[in-house]
Amino acid sequence: MRKALSFSFFIVLLMAACSESSASGTRLTVLAASSLKNVLPEIGTLFTEEHAGVTLSFSFGGTGQLAAQIQQGAPADVFAGASTKYGDQLASAGLIDPYESFCTNRLVLVVPSSNPAGITALLDLSTKPAKVVVGSESVPIGTYTRAVLENLNGLFGPGYSEAVLGRVVSNEDSATSIITKVESGEADAGFVYVTDALAAGPKVQSIPLPSEAQAVVIYPIAAVRASKNATKARQLVEFVLTAPAQQLLEQAGFGPPPVP
Amino acid sequence: MRASDRTASVATGIAAAVLFGFVLLPILAIFLRVPPSTLVDQLHSRVALDALLVSLRSTLIALVIIVVLGTPTAYLLGTRRFRGAGVLTTVLELPLVLPPAVAGIGLFAAFGRFGLLGGVLRAFGVQIPFTEAAVVMALAFVALPFYSRQAVAAFASMDHELLAASRTLGAGQARTFFRVALPLARQGLYAGAALAWARALGEFGATILFAGSLQGRTQTLPLAIYDQFLGGNIDRALAVSALLVVVSAGLLVGVRVLVRKGSGDWPSWHRSSRSSSLIG
Repeated sequence: MRKALSFSFFIVLLMAACSESSASGTRLTVLAASSLKNVLPEIGTLFTEEHAGVTLSFSFGGTGQLAAQIQQGAPADVFAGASTKYGDQLASAGLIDPYESFCTNRLVLVVPSSNPAGITALLDLSTKPAKVVVGSESVPIGTYTRAVLENLNGLFGPGYSEAVLGRVVSNEDSATSIITKVESGEADAGFVYVTDALAAGPKVQSIPLPSEAQAVVIYPIAAVRASKNATKARQLVEFVLTAPAQQLLEQAGFGPPPVP
Repeated sequence: MRASDRTASVATGIAAAVLFGFVLLPILAIFLRVPPSTLVDQLHSRVALDALLVSLRSTLIALVIIVVLGTPTAYLLGTRRFRGAGVLTTVLELPLVLPPAVAGIGLFAAFGRFGLLGGVLRAFGVQIPFTEAAVVMALAFVALPFYSRQAVAAFASMDHELLAASRTLGAGQARTFFRVALPLARQGLYAGAALAWARALGEFGATILFAGSLQGRTQTLPLAIYDQFLGGNIDRALAVSALLVVVSAGLLVGVRVLVRKGSGDWPSWHRSSRSSSLIG
């Protein structure tokens, strides 16, 4: 009996250890789009330097997945997505504050530096046999890619987007996994954010898109309404709009917030 | 009944109740969250239907490969004593303890375009990643030990004197294998095949890494669930999950019935009459 008691005591202790509340300080959970993986933790470091006692933990994923998590009541303090579609959804449901658009991004076509399929221009994608990887329609990079291909139809003729989508061998779950497959040379080409291409460095070659075909990629950020640390969460949101944070975003290749 | 005994049985009861609740609640929740009408609608959706077809096709092919290659190998490992048999058995079990993501990366490193065998494969004009062959390989790799373990155990626990008798009575090695060993080990083989199939149906990590995800080609049911979840389509993700539960549970029940039936019509006298009929 005593053993059973001490065992249940142990379980209670274990559960207490697993729960959020640390004895000292505030822990903010940030749900963020995968494409922010390289830059957001750096901004977070700057923020925690100014706010002693605050620790940040990041959970990166597809923006739709993050939105679903917030809808299901996942414990989160800040939402930073790669698509205003989900920002609008969450805000109109009253789950997050009205969001701030804190940066923008553009798309680019990347090929492995060895370029096995010999893709040197956008038009090659529809004429040369190539294994193309794109984002799934379920994630922002996938919807943006399809929008870009539609726009390119105007330049290259109506069959272009269909021809390119016909060469798709995988609909990936994030821009990160697209670039990994291109970097390793397993895929011949893929559409990613310019920030991903920049982070990959010389392992990929970038083929820029004409500006008239670009997608409008706007990143929303907002405090989650159900947050227990709403004040700190809002401070973090504001911090992302300040000059030091914006400078890091610019270095990572992100564009400035849209002019309202 | 002593007080301590009563405490023990109450504790056992509680443990069992917690365990069953823990296993059943998530499964029940899937069905409670999706009204049956939605479930039927989803069955007609292209995504679910394509994923179901890809899943059934690729798991069946993987299962055939596992059984055809695994059965003779397991027979060898289960019936012969030789140096290194233990090591070989362990190697076959390795995929069981590897995280599926490791399996996926490993398959890339071996069979990818720039993998160990990539050059050789390319010489034959073969590219495996992102194809249905990649799905089948990922499934076979991960599910293999579920069959081979059972099969080795089944062959090892056979009455080896029956095998010896079969040989003495003039049956060749192949005849002994097919007419004596296979029927004797049948139940273990069924059970192993069912486990391997179920594991293959649920495979996710190795598949998404090595084969990617393309509807109608490489997107299996678990990949479709993940994709729907990524897009925030919880309802559709739940519906496809329900479909996967139904398929897997149906499989489990089907094999149970098959095994029970098998054990019914193989009484021991029948078995020996079979093996003696070998010389006839």
